[in-house]
Amino acid sequence: MKKILIFAFTLFLILPLFSSGEREKGVTIITIWHPNSGLIGEAFEELVNDFNQTVGKDENIQIEAVYQGLANDVLTKVKAAAISKTLPDIAQMDATAATDMNNADYLVTMRDLGLREEEILINARNAFSSEKGLLAMPFNASSLLLYYNKDVFEENGVEPPKTFDEFIEIADKIGEKDEKGNVTRYALQGVPTTFELTSFIGAQNGLSYIVNKKNGHEGLPTEVLFGKEGTYKAFLEKWKELFDTGYLNSITSGVSTEFASGRSATMLQSSSNLSTVIDSVGDNFRVGVSEIPMVNEKATGGVAPSGGAMFAFTNSSEVRKVLEYFMRDDVQLKWAELTGYIPLNVNVYESEEYRDFIKENPNFHVAMSALNGSNPNLTNLWLPSAYQIYYSFQKNIDDVVNERITIDAAVDEMVTTIKDALESYEAQNIV
Amino acid sequence: MKRKECIKAYAYLLPCLILASVFFLYPFLNTLISSLLRINTSGVVLGFAGLSNYALLFKDKSFQNSILRTLLFTSLFVPLNTFLTLLASSLTARKIKGFGPVETIFFLPVAISLSGATLIFKEMFRGRVSIINRLLGLEIDWLNERFPAMLTLVFLGVFLDFGIDYILLLTSFRAIDKRVLEAAEIDGASSAQIYFHIELPLIMRMLLMTVFLAIKDALLIVAPIIILTEGGPFRSTETILFYYYIEAFKSGNRAVQNTVSTLMVLSAALVMVIYSLIFHRRDKK
Repeated sequence: MKKILIFAFTLFLILPLFSSGEREKGVTIITIWHPNSGLIGEAFEELVNDFNQTVGKDENIQIEAVYQGLANDVLTKVKAAAISKTLPDIAQMDATAATDMNNADYLVTMRDLGLREEEILINARNAFSSEKGLLAMPFNASSLLLYYNKDVFEENGVEPPKTFDEFIEIADKIGEKDEKGNVTRYALQGVPTTFELTSFIGAQNGLSYIVNKKNGHEGLPTEVLFGKEGTYKAFLEKWKELFDTGYLNSITSGVSTEFASGRSATMLQSSSNLSTVIDSVGDNFRVGVSEIPMVNEKATGGVAPSGGAMFAFTNSSEVRKVLEYFMRDDVQLKWAELTGYIPLNVNVYESEEYRDFIKENPNFHVAMSALNGSNPNLTNLWLPSAYQIYYSFQKNIDDVVNERITIDAAVDEMVTTIKDALESYEAQNIV
Repeated sequence: MKRKECIKAYAYLLPCLILASVFFLYPFLNTLISSLLRINTSGVVLGFAGLSNYALLFKDKSFQNSILRTLLFTSLFVPLNTFLTLLASSLTARKIKGFGPVETIFFLPVAISLSGATLIFKEMFRGRVSIINRLLGLEIDWLNERFPAMLTLVFLGVFLDFGIDYILLLTSFRAIDKRVLEAAEIDGASSAQIYFHIELPLIMRMLLMTVFLAIKDALLIVAPIIILTEGGPFRSTETILFYYYIEAFKSGNRAVQNTVSTLMVLSAALVMVIYSLIFHRRDKK
C-alpha cells in the first residue's frame, strides 16, 4: 500500500514534466523571440494580443511572444538554438545579427517567404539587405538624433546647430562654468562609436562608406574606405575642435543621466530612447530633438537607419501572415505612436491619423523626417568583431582629443584594426 | 585481496571520474583540438589551422591589451585583498564579547549576490556627484576615467571575495591550539612575537590558499566587468575574459573561443601546479 502511495505521489510530481499543454486542434503557434522590455515591451504585447484576437483567431494562428533579453542576447540564443535545432519561428534582432544571419543556412529570407517588400521604407529595407536580398522584415527603426535642452537654448538665444562649425561657435553659450573655471554644464557629453560614425562618416559627400561592398552588405569587405577618403579625418578634426572649446566631455557611461540632470546641454542618442529620455527628464526642462549636426557643408547624406528586424526561421504561410500583420499600415502606426519608432510602411505617411499624431508630438516627427530625407543607400555597418571595433573607435577618439596620438596616426590605427578583424574573419570563414 | 581492494577503490571513484571526464576532460580536449582547426562562425570545420589561430590571437592588439589589463588588476587586487582579509581576521581572531556583529558584518558580503553588489557599486561610484565622492570629498568621475575605473573594479573584487576569505582565515586562526599560545605567553613572548612567529606560520597554509584563490579569481574576472564598466572607459578594464566574452560570445569568433579557453585552462592549471609545489615543499620540511 505504502509503495503504491509513494509511486502515485512520485507520478504526481513528475507528471507536469511531460504535459505539453493541451492546445486547440488546428491552431498553429508562431513563437517570436524579442528584446522588447519596459514601455516598448508593453506596446509589443498589445500588438501581439491584437493579432491573436483578430487575424490570428480567423486564421487559426496564435503568436507566442517570448522576451529573451537585449537584442544581442536574442542573437546569442538564436545561434545556440540553431545548434540544438530548437529555433523559434521568428526572432527580432538588430543589425549586429546581420552578418551572422547572412551566413546562416537556417535563415528564411523574405524572398523565400514571398513577402511583399514594396511598402517597406527603402532606407530600412537597405539596412537589412545583402546580396541574398532582404534578410529580415524591418520592424523597429530608429535614427541618430541630437537631443537638446530647449530651456538652455532659448535662454541663450541659440538654435540647435546644423553643422559642427555652428556647434563649435555656440559651445561656450550653451555650456557654463563656475567662478573657479570648472565646467558646470557641458555643451555635449559622450564619445561616438560605430553607430554614430556610420552617420557622421556616411553623410559626407552625399554618401560615404566606412568599408567597401556597401558597408559590408554585399559580402565581406575587402577595403577600409574612411582612411583614404579622408572622411574619418574630417570628422576627427571637427570633434577635436569641439573638444578644445572646453565644453565637450569625453565620457562613455552615464551620458543620459548627465543630460537629464542638466549637466549637458545636448547629447547624441538613438530616437528609440525618445520616450524614455522625456520620461527621465520629467519637469527639469523641456527636451528638444533635431537632426544631427553635419561634419561639413558637403555632408548631406543624412543619417543611417538603426533598429531591428524580424528574422524568420520557418518557411510557412503562417509566418508570412504574421509578418504581413506587423507591416500593416495601421499596426505600424500604432507601434510608432506607442513607442516613437519610425513607421516603416510608407502608406502611413499619407494617413490623416499620422498627421494628427506628429502635430501633437513634433519631437517624434524629427527622426521620421530625418530618415525619410536621408540617402537610401546610406546603411548601417556589417562587420565581424563588431564589438571590438565599437570599443576601439571610442578609445581612438578619446586618444585624439587628449592628444595621446595625432589625427593621422589615429586614422591609421583604426584602418589597421578593421583590416585585422577582416583578415582574421577571412582566415577562419572563407573556404 | 589487494586486487579486490583496488577494484573497490576504483568503483568508488568511478562516478567522480565519469563526471570529470564528461564535464571537464572531454570538453577540454575538444576545445584543444578545435583550437587547431579552422571553424567558421556557424561551427563548420573548414580545415586544419595548426598554430595560426594562436598566432592571430597574439597579434591582436586588443588581446595584448587585455593581458596587460588582467595583470594590472591581479597585481592590485591580490595584495590588497590579502592584506585586508588578513588584517580583519587577525583583529577579530580572539573572541571578544560584543564583537559578534563585527564578524557578521565582515562575513556579510558572501550573502550578497555578485550582480547585486556590482549594481550597488555602480550607483555608489556613478558620476562626479557620486555617493563615494560626497563621503570622501573627492571630485573623481570614477567610472569615466581610466585608472579610477580600474580601482573601482579592484574595490568591488575585494568586496566580493572578502567574506569568504575572511571566514577561511578566521577559522584557521581559531583552530590554533591555545596551549601553544599560552606556553609562549608564559615564556614571556610579546604579542607581536606570538603573532609573527607562531600564529602566522600556523595559518600560512590557509593564507596561501586564499592568495591562490584570489589569483584565480583575478585571472578569471569577467561578470563584474560586464555589469560595471563594459571594459571601459576606453578599454581600460578589458580583461582577458571580457575580451573573450565580446569576441567569442557576441561576435561568434570560434578561433578566439577555442584558443583563449585552452590558454585559460592551461594558465589556471599552471597556477595550481605552482600552488601544490609550494605545499609539497612546505609539507616536506
